[in-house]
Amino acid sequence: MYLTKEEERIYDGEFGWANQICMKILVRLGELFNATRLIPINSAHVSGVSYKTLGDAPSDFLEALANADARVKVKATLNPQSFDREYLCKKLPQYLCQKQLDIMTYFEKMGFTESLTCTPYYLENPKRGSHLAWAESSAVIYANSVTGAWTNREGGPSALAAAIIGKTPNYGIHKAENRQPKVLVKLEKQLQSEVEFGALGIFLGKILEDKIPIIQDLQNASKDNLKQLGAALASTGMVNMFYCETRDIKFSEIEKIKVETRDIKQTIEDLTTTSTPEPDLVFVGCPHCSLNEIKQASELIGNGKIKDGTEFWVCTLHYIKEKARKYVEKIEKSGGHILTDTCAVVTWTDKLGIETIMTNSAKTAHYAPTLNKAETIFAPLKECLKTAFKG
Amino acid sequence: MQPITLRGRAIVEGRCKAEALVSTTPISFLGGVDPADGKVAEKNHDLCGKCIKDKVLCFPHGHGSTVGSYVLYSLAKKKLAPKAIVNQKADPVVVVGAIIADIPMIDQIDITQIKTSDLVEVDVYNGFVKVLKRKES
Repeated sequence: MYLTKEEERIYDGEFGWANQICMKILVRLGELFNATRLIPINSAHVSGVSYKTLGDAPSDFLEALANADARVKVKATLNPQSFDREYLCKKLPQYLCQKQLDIMTYFEKMGFTESLTCTPYYLENPKRGSHLAWAESSAVIYANSVTGAWTNREGGPSALAAAIIGKTPNYGIHKAENRQPKVLVKLEKQLQSEVEFGALGIFLGKILEDKIPIIQDLQNASKDNLKQLGAALASTGMVNMFYCETRDIKFSEIEKIKVETRDIKQTIEDLTTTSTPEPDLVFVGCPHCSLNEIKQASELIGNGKIKDGTEFWVCTLHYIKEKARKYVEKIEKSGGHILTDTCAVVTWTDKLGIETIMTNSAKTAHYAPTLNKAETIFAPLKECLKTAFKG
Repeated sequence: MQPITLRGRAIVEGRCKAEALVSTTPISFLGGVDPADGKVAEKNHDLCGKCIKDKVLCFPHGHGSTVGSYVLYSLAKKKLAPKAIVNQKADPVVVVGAIIADIPMIDQIDITQIKTSDLVEVDVYNGFVKVLKRKES
């Protein structure tokens, strides 16, 4: 790999251990994937923030980096942590919250913004064609497919290293030749609800391997639905990008897959693991809700009141919650909770006595049985709200 | 026995001589290795219950969460890390882990030539692994 004079000096340790170790991570990864040089990035997004998913191991490294004066060179955002500051932090054991706060201290010291979200594109939509180093698979696939930015699916540590150096090695999806679609996906029927979009993602992820799909009949799909599709696709698959337009493709030269209505139906059924009609938690906001999704929820709730024994969570980022003030007030008045900085998957739902989670997110329905040790009910927003509220 | 020399690709520089611990199964360091005692914790793994401390750990490649890299750092801090890592095909999780934990690492090695308890020399500077002494079987 070619390094500039300055990059070499960082590599040799002239700018301290923290910069050196981050540079080594980038160079070795670059060599592993045949990168030829480092390229500047516009932003970095780091996953591995929640103490629930991290455990104790990373604290040591993050602390060492922060204390060795590692500082971010570009705009750097963080994935959600394990609680929000208003609701869950008061319900969870204090020692767990303290561990999380320690982790946050290290990140803040390094200059990361405190916006804890899996949808950093709501804070600032990355420019088309700009290079990023993002972790969090749902954000990566959204950035590549919906906003047209270019980012590999980084791991937590490599995104961290990229944030500190402000660069990333030019391999994988940073190269135009690796962004070509390899499979044409035809749908038997146009998709309707967000649940069908999510199910398509789960289904495709399992069969596509690393082949980028171009999916027909999605030109009119909303960004919210594409967010669900991408998050699910990245959960079960290795692809970091999909196309939903039919430009520049010679269809005769490309592999074709037909997705039948019964495939979607079967996938939706499989994402529900229980026959109980009464979940402990109804959860929307995986990935974090857009302003529009909060508005929809608030309108559908109407004058409803939360049912006894049921929790309703809307997870989003602080920035969107502020913008959604009037909808937020309505949802809170009806007994629901708008939680920022966290989500059901990265918090300890089991410690809150939650055994069954109902959600409109295919990604959550896919992960909750293992990451939350919970049963799942997978259904569209409308049904979720009907279950959570009366009246 | 005649020492067997296996050539590979340098990932993290270093040199050591230690006993090999060989697995035919990929390792996920997050969840798969207990950071408290350095023992492989993954059920049904062929190394389950074995401690990786001070071994030349040979396995095909890593898999699973990228948080696994931090587990290697934590093991090294507690002096529970392997002396070296020998892979068939390096993957990002283990590469990053070996860099931050400063564990000598080499890949593109035919690990089927190495048996658990063999005495092996790893010399990443010169890009080889040498099986010095085979365990009597």
